[in-house]
Amino acid sequence: MTSSFIRRTVFDSITFGFLLCVALIAIAQPTEAQMLELGKNTAIFFVALGLGGVLSFVLNELAKVKTLGESIFAPAYKKAQAEETSWYKTFSGWQLAITLTVTLVVAIFKTRFSMYELLNEDGFAGAVRLFQGLLSPNFALLPKAVLNIIETIFMAFLATALAIPIAFVLSFFSAKNIMQGPVSFPIYLFLRTLMNITRSIEALIWAIIFSVWVGIGPFAGMLALMIHSIASLTKQYSEMVEVVSEGPIEGVQSTGANKLQMIWFAIVPQVILPYISFTVYRWDINVRMATIIGLVGGGGIGTMLMQYQGQAMWPEVGCIILVIAVVVWAMDQASAYLREALK
Amino acid sequence: MSESILSIRNLVKTYPNGVQALKGVNIDVKKGEFLVVIGLSGSGKSTLLRCINRLHSPTSGEILFGGKDIAKAVGTTDIRELRREIGMIFQHFNLIPRHTVLSNVLMGRLGDTSTLKSMLGLWSPEDKAKAIEYLRLVGIAEKAKIRADQLSGGQQQRVAIARALTQDPQILLADEPVASLDPATCHTVMDYLRKVNRELGITVIANLHFLSLVREYATRVVALKAGEVVYEGSPSNINDSWFERIYGEGAKEVHIN
Repeated sequence: MTSSFIRRTVFDSITFGFLLCVALIAIAQPTEAQMLELGKNTAIFFVALGLGGVLSFVLNELAKVKTLGESIFAPAYKKAQAEETSWYKTFSGWQLAITLTVTLVVAIFKTRFSMYELLNEDGFAGAVRLFQGLLSPNFALLPKAVLNIIETIFMAFLATALAIPIAFVLSFFSAKNIMQGPVSFPIYLFLRTLMNITRSIEALIWAIIFSVWVGIGPFAGMLALMIHSIASLTKQYSEMVEVVSEGPIEGVQSTGANKLQMIWFAIVPQVILPYISFTVYRWDINVRMATIIGLVGGGGIGTMLMQYQGQAMWPEVGCIILVIAVVVWAMDQASAYLREALK
Repeated sequence: MSESILSIRNLVKTYPNGVQALKGVNIDVKKGEFLVVIGLSGSGKSTLLRCINRLHSPTSGEILFGGKDIAKAVGTTDIRELRREIGMIFQHFNLIPRHTVLSNVLMGRLGDTSTLKSMLGLWSPEDKAKAIEYLRLVGIAEKAKIRADQLSGGQQQRVAIARALTQDPQILLADEPVASLDPATCHTVMDYLRKVNRELGITVIANLHFLSLVREYATRVVALKAGEVVYEGSPSNINDSWFERIYGEGAKEVHIN
């Protein structure tokens, strides 16, 4: 009851609060300077949220009108009692429709969506020029592009390879089912949080950090990919550890095995295949990400792409893109094939 | 026969969710006997066995074994020491499917092997010989190199028995050892348990469902009902009125041949 009540209130206060804010902006037409007053605007936003929450309470509890939050987060037994009605006859249906429509309209304004720009003759001609360049690649650049993509592939490989042992060890420390003791559980929580934070920072940002730290080049890119891979692999690995079957664990424990032996003999055999599968996939992802990371100075083919793109040398860019596409496609196929075989 | 190997005194187990699985159980296990624990599902049979080798920790009470109260053993070393003396087999065999039969049986030696050696698979020749010997005892030595998941249920349970025996245990716990087997295989596995009991002199404590099996194999029976001992004595004395007491009114006995 309480948890569903909180979720309902939060959900409704956000949807209602959002609509209130949009209405306020549409009516008051604030200036640029007024929009930048973060403190004041945050206060207004929270007041709107509060009003939304109150509105949700009034509607649900006093007016007996089911809001969207209520129909999403109501406990299962209440949902079971609900009567079937067409969406346009319910309040929550309209709440959803209006919220989505308003969001769409705001998004169109915010992204300055413009048919005029899209169909502008000059702009269109530029795009045609670009495509012509891309579609007639300058193959003189091919040897250099191949050398650079080899750098990228190895960058991705090393990042994956260095991440494997670290993630392997960390995965057991961040698996809830084996970290239950009074000492273990805080370690588990700490690691989980650390990994979540690390993962939520994009590899691109890590690349910027490391290119300042160790200088622009493939080493910075490799470090960025490694950090990101450790966090991602640890999460995926530990999820596998969390769903292992309990039987073999009991079986091995009953022989008097210690914790390390238990993990090695009862858990590792159960997780090893998914581990390999995740790792191959991670290498595949890393090759693709290494290209992007190169754009911000992570070395390899991405950096090369950036140089030629900056000079608007489209035939050269076309050659580079072609090389990237071939390699990414090949990696994708190979990794899918391997993962299928390992199932 | 009369010497006690394990004494359980006022054993209480309350799970964190508040379920009281054992409500002050008293049992004396005699050396060399084949003790069978019966009772409905949820009567506390499995909990009782798991408290003995400390897969579960008892809430209160005593378990006296080898002159020590193992219910109070808290250190992981103490608990491992104790588990080395008490082998266990399970309803679902609990082997490692990807490992070979021999490797599974060798896991019985984990408690006596250093972590590094065991992880590198450096088992001593004596351990290997012992593993083969026990595989032969349960009549499955020719399958030693086969992966455990290639075997039938009955064969897997025999491997599990060999694994437990490799520990050189004083007591063998069997948690519904035949509940996932077909009737014919049931008897094969039970016969091996009896062989272990009679020929090696290992005390067996088993949970069983079928009274016909109990009458055939048990030397003594303890019945649990809602976490309390309601019967203790010879299997032949369980008549219809006892049966209803243990399993509840209207229960009918199912025979297995």
